[in-house]
Amino acid sequence: MEERMRRVDPKLLELLVCPLSKGRLSYDAERNELISEKARLAYPIRDGIPIMLISEARKIEM
Amino acid sequence: MTRERVSAEGGMETSYGFRQVGESEKQTLVNDVFHRVAKRYDIMNDVMSLGLHRAWKDAMIAALNPAKREDYRVLDVAGGTGDIAMRIVEASGRRAHATVLDINGSMLSVGAERARKAGLADHLDFVEANAEELPFEPNSFDAYTIAFGIRNVPHIDVALKEAHRVLKRGGRLMVLEFSAVDQPFLEKIYDTWSFNAIPRFGKMVTGDAEPYQYLVESIRKFPNQRDFATMIEKVGFSRVGFTNYTGGIAALHSAWKI
Repeated sequence: MEERMRRVDPKLLELLVCPLSKGRLSYDAERNELISEKARLAYPIRDGIPIMLISEARKIEM
Repeated sequence: MTRERVSAEGGMETSYGFRQVGESEKQTLVNDVFHRVAKRYDIMNDVMSLGLHRAWKDAMIAALNPAKREDYRVLDVAGGTGDIAMRIVEASGRRAHATVLDINGSMLSVGAERARKAGLADHLDFVEANAEELPFEPNSFDAYTIAFGIRNVPHIDVALKEAHRVLKRGGRLMVLEFSAVDQPFLEKIYDTWSFNAIPRFGKMVTGDAEPYQYLVESIRKFPNQRDFATMIEKVGFSRVGFTNYTGGIAALHSAWKI
């Protein structure tokens, strides 16, 4: 798949927050995930669509 | 099992169609319905409503009257297949930006593909999320739309509170949903159509009758026009009103965040 289609629109990234903590997210380009430091969760991005579901997020150690 | 409509006090969170379910079960059951119907969803809407859903959606977009500005942002919730969002972008002269949110990945895949084919991908983005836990900053959107989606959300009050939070001041809520028919003669025909014809057509088109049985039952459970307006007022919206379409088969509720 084209790189362009895998990535999320930067304007959308500005609006997105963690659905659990409502805190800001940072983008991990390497894993293509959105990281919520407050909630310690990583949200996956599939085919350019961020999956902002707590049930789909990966728990992370900080 | 009860066929009574739920009131403004709530009850949709434990109703899966006419069946009483646990509060934690509903979302899973609804998810399953939409995974099963995603690919044929828009075609089935044509069949089920005899094409009327198009006129209702057109009326909704006309009432919204989206601004023809690049900074006009709409959040379309439960809008997986992109139908409403694409209509809004077109109505804005391809200027507005719409974010399509759905809890169901199967529905979003259909929408994203359709947006690419229509050349509208730059005006739309797609997010998989729960209407009860929106992943957006407060005061982010000029309009929040949801068409034939709110009755499938388990906690409608929570979803409405979230809508209020993410709307800007002066932002508008627009909810299109099946509602209570106010004419006895029409109601009789409508009931026969809903409970006999729709599940059969569903089976013919998608090979599966059960999801359509849920859809028609959930329509009968959803609060009537006045009760739903009360629910919208309760979470802090102002100037709540509704318009019936086709004798109340569908109704558009509109409200403002002031």
